[in-house]
Amino acid sequence: MSIKRRHRFYVGFFLVFSGNVLSQQTYQVGLLPSVNFNYKLKNDWSLNSKLESRQLLQRGLWNDSVLENYSYVLTDLSLLAAKKVGLNGKLAGGYLVRLENGEVIHRIIQQYTAVQRKSGYRLAHRFLADQTISSIERPIFRLRYRFTAEIPLNGESVDVKEFYLKFNNEYVNSVQTGQYDLEIRLIPLLGYGINDRHKIELGLDYRVNSLFDNQTRQSFWTTLNWFVEL
Amino acid sequence: MFFCLKFYVSLGLIVLFTVPLCAQEKFEKESRMKEQDVPTKAVQFIDSLPIKCNVKWYLEEGLKGNSVEAKFKWHKKKYSIEFDTLGVIEDVEIEIREKKIPSGLMNSISTQLENDCLKYDIEKIQIQYQGSHNLLLKQLNSEEVISGISVSYELIVRCKSTENICLFEYVFGDTGAVTSTSKIIFKNSSHLEY
Repeated sequence: MSIKRRHRFYVGFFLVFSGNVLSQQTYQVGLLPSVNFNYKLKNDWSLNSKLESRQLLQRGLWNDSVLENYSYVLTDLSLLAAKKVGLNGKLAGGYLVRLENGEVIHRIIQQYTAVQRKSGYRLAHRFLADQTISSIERPIFRLRYRFTAEIPLNGESVDVKEFYLKFNNEYVNSVQTGQYDLEIRLIPLLGYGINDRHKIELGLDYRVNSLFDNQTRQSFWTTLNWFVEL
Repeated sequence: MFFCLKFYVSLGLIVLFTVPLCAQEKFEKESRMKEQDVPTKAVQFIDSLPIKCNVKWYLEEGLKGNSVEAKFKWHKKKYSIEFDTLGVIEDVEIEIREKKIPSGLMNSISTQLENDCLKYDIEKIQIQYQGSHNLLLKQLNSEEVISGISVSYELIVRCKSTENICLFEYVFGDTGAVTSTSKIIFKNSSHLEY
């Protein structure tokens, strides 16, 4: 990149993001606990079911007033069927139902995941497409990519009764009535392997969205994940 | 609010009744060791080598018993030296490339793998030396195989069969005969996928 082009890039970047800084940015802080059940079937098939609840503790404008205090936001329940493909890959598809403000929202999910086993850590890539349909909103189509790193805090792999660090970085592209949005998620977690069948994770789920329309919203969810192998 | 309360009550009940079921054990476990906890004999062996890089120590707990392992990089190669819990050396493993295996031996290995798999891919090769303390010390400072040292080759192989693709650990003797084969079971990764 030449100096002139680089200069233009920085100016453009500054204009895009300074617009957001000057506008009324909002934040929300809350809790995001989930329980995740996994069940192995024959011939490399498996099932995954996830129950997640979202509760808002506070919502407001940066450096300004609080707009809302505690409120229950939603509950998600999903069921996915997955088939192992190749040595490290898994194809999955399923359905999620969301209960929010007395409304029922439906989401169809298709995903492909690949786990790479490295010396001393593991990496996972998730490519996901979903379509959300409800009676109160126009359909939403999303394409997501998530990168996950798992680093054991003791030894070269995570064993029972050991802690590990997990870091998720996800890019959620969405289109609704022709309008594009990008949400970026950063999720650092501390995990613990209770035994071969149970893992718990605690961390922060940071999300920033509406980056391009001066309505940037930042969300900080305290995450508690519980993974169960049935 | 009702859903939220119900969610936590259910979560709490499940936690309460699941914890007693969690008291199970795992058969293999690898954990980092501090150098002061490593048997003196093992530390002395490593100290007698002209290694300048950092040595990582691990305790391996398995069905056949426990062992202590030193891992380090030396001469741009990955070394792994295994000791028993008293610090007596058991073997030396060095990661090597396929072209370092003698061609005759490699032909035997390929024939075996072609018999076992529809398609295969060798992911990792380690040359394994076994012998006495003094011979292994000499071997570590030599390019050629010293008389009295037993040599074998440990291969991690991605093997495609008619049913699926699996990862196997093969151990070949220096004549090309298979001495052991075991299927590698991956650790659960659902927390990375969902």
